[in-house]
Amino acid sequence: MFISASLFSAATFAQQGQESWLVETMYKSGKINTVVAVVAVLITGLAAWMFMMDRKVSRLEKDMNKR
Amino acid sequence: MKGLWWKVLATLLLLYVVIVGLRTPLRPAIVQTSVSRIAPGPVEVDVWGYGTHFIKSGAQVWIENDSQRVCATSVAAIADDHLRVQFTVPSGLRSEMSDLAVFSERDGLLERFGAFFTEGRGAGIATQNCVTGKSLRLAILEFPNRDILNESIRNLFFHVPMWFTMVVLLSIGVWKSVVVLRKNDPDADRSAAVAVQVGLAFATLGLITGSLWARVTWETWWTSDPKLNGSAATMLIYLAYLVLRGSVPEPAKRARLAAIYSVFAFSFMLLFLFVLPRLNDSLHPGNGGNPAFSKYDIDKRLAPVFYPACLGWILLGVWMYDLRNRLLRLQHRLSDANDQ
Amino acid sequence: MDRNEIASLLQLEWRLDRRQKHAWGSMALYVVSTVYTCYLGVKQLNTVATWNALFWIIVLFAAFNALGRSFQREEGGRQIYLHTLAHPRNVVLARTLYNAGTMVALGVVSLAAYTLFIGDRVLAEADIGLFFCSVLLGSIGFACALTLIAAIAARAGSGLGLMAILGFPIVLPMLLATLRASKLALDGVAWSVAGNYLLAVLAIDVLAVALSAILFPYLWRD
Repeated sequence: MFISASLFSAATFAQQGQESWLVETMYKSGKINTVVAVVAVLITGLAAWMFMMDRKVSRLEKDMNKR
Repeated sequence: MKGLWWKVLATLLLLYVVIVGLRTPLRPAIVQTSVSRIAPGPVEVDVWGYGTHFIKSGAQVWIENDSQRVCATSVAAIADDHLRVQFTVPSGLRSEMSDLAVFSERDGLLERFGAFFTEGRGAGIATQNCVTGKSLRLAILEFPNRDILNESIRNLFFHVPMWFTMVVLLSIGVWKSVVVLRKNDPDADRSAAVAVQVGLAFATLGLITGSLWARVTWETWWTSDPKLNGSAATMLIYLAYLVLRGSVPEPAKRARLAAIYSVFAFSFMLLFLFVLPRLNDSLHPGNGGNPAFSKYDIDKRLAPVFYPACLGWILLGVWMYDLRNRLLRLQHRLSDANDQ
Repeated sequence: MDRNEIASLLQLEWRLDRRQKHAWGSMALYVVSTVYTCYLGVKQLNTVATWNALFWIIVLFAAFNALGRSFQREEGGRQIYLHTLAHPRNVVLARTLYNAGTMVALGVVSLAAYTLFIGDRVLAEADIGLFFCSVLLGSIGFACALTLIAAIAARAGSGLGLMAILGFPIVLPMLLATLRASKLALDGVAWSVAGNYLLAVLAIDVLAVALSAILFPYLWRD
């Protein structure tokens, strides 16, 4: 979520001048691919951790039910 | 909730949302013009675009005023996103607002509605034919490019589902609370507490993502707006719920008091988050008749990523709740078994 | 919802309070002390926004103070006795009505003390009728929203601190609407503009009373 915020580095439309009004965005410069990769890794990691916890809890539940 | 399928689904949906939501380009658009009033006579306008390719494929520019077109006399592409255009504005245009239109084969038709306030109006002029050629743009999916929002519209897929997830989790909480009131079930009481805890976690994320988004679009971290006030009040109400739970030691009494407050809190949450913002003027998108943002969250181009995002985050939230609930239940059973 | 029962419960409250007049005295004293403390800090306030805000903060804290006591008396044997006599829904409705009356009185007393010490120049351009209406509705609103909260806090046994924590978030949007309405009234704006906010306060009141009536019986059971 923090990372998605750094995408929005480009909202400086306060200038009324003759320069290119939008500074380089992450999208144009290709950095977006890094952002996507990082966030995808985070989500995969979170999901993997939750799967492991889920399995642990299931095993414990089975143990308790057996007793 | 049994089953592995919905957990895998949640993961896949979120991966899809992250990849497609961040990679899909925005539709090219005209974002700024150097003049905002035009009067009869020659005028030179600088036009800036976003995601445009003015150098790679030439641009044809015209002013559109109530179906009268005035072609540009000269168009110079200074950069891929910067045009310098000259017009000779005739007197006698009908409408007081003119639109700027740019057509290029690569980007298609880009329009900026109400770009110019028009002086020297009259009965109307004969329209010119300013466009030749067809658009060669092919895009499977593009996101709308709105003023002020631009790229930050992607936050939609993270910020809004956080709140939806919170509402779903708090609904689970209030359902469990009703069960407590009717049957005095300690397991339901624990589930209600877990639901509120996870719901609050998502509310916190919602507040953080919203605050970051506000910083970018409204240039402030927080503002006094009905929806924001309502969300702050919701957080405080449920934090007070947790405080209430903490201050009553006996389990049966705690369960009942917490359940009563939970029903109270949920009703007010619905009032504060959904009813009151619609009644008052609001800067927040989707409420208060804000014209630039009206209904963008069901814009057809955003829907293919937005609805899966909502579903994915909700499933993730319910998974977290389910996991924590089972864990606490196990701990409780274990401590019971140890006591015996 | 038995009107006779509610009426006799109200009479009971009135009589009990008359016997313990010191409760009223303490509420009035709290208000006057708070107002006087603020007076020492600001002397006079002539800007509408500040005047308005300070007034409602004083009323808010007086409300927590006054309403917090409303269920404190009911501990122990007396509560069980009442439980056998009256239906809990009537008890909570009567209590809410009584609290509303108390709050209206408190609001008026606060307003009197406030204008006396902090100045009434802001009232010169005000729509007095609208302002009075917003004070009334706001005070009643506090009572409606906080009655059940006071009951929960009393039952939890933790006293006034917990009541403030539980009650504050519920009261917050209602306070905001009341603040806006009374500020508009002080600015002399017409009813149609402030009316929206007053309607919001009314909506919260209705919801709070309805929920109290539904939930209080569960609290009463012990």
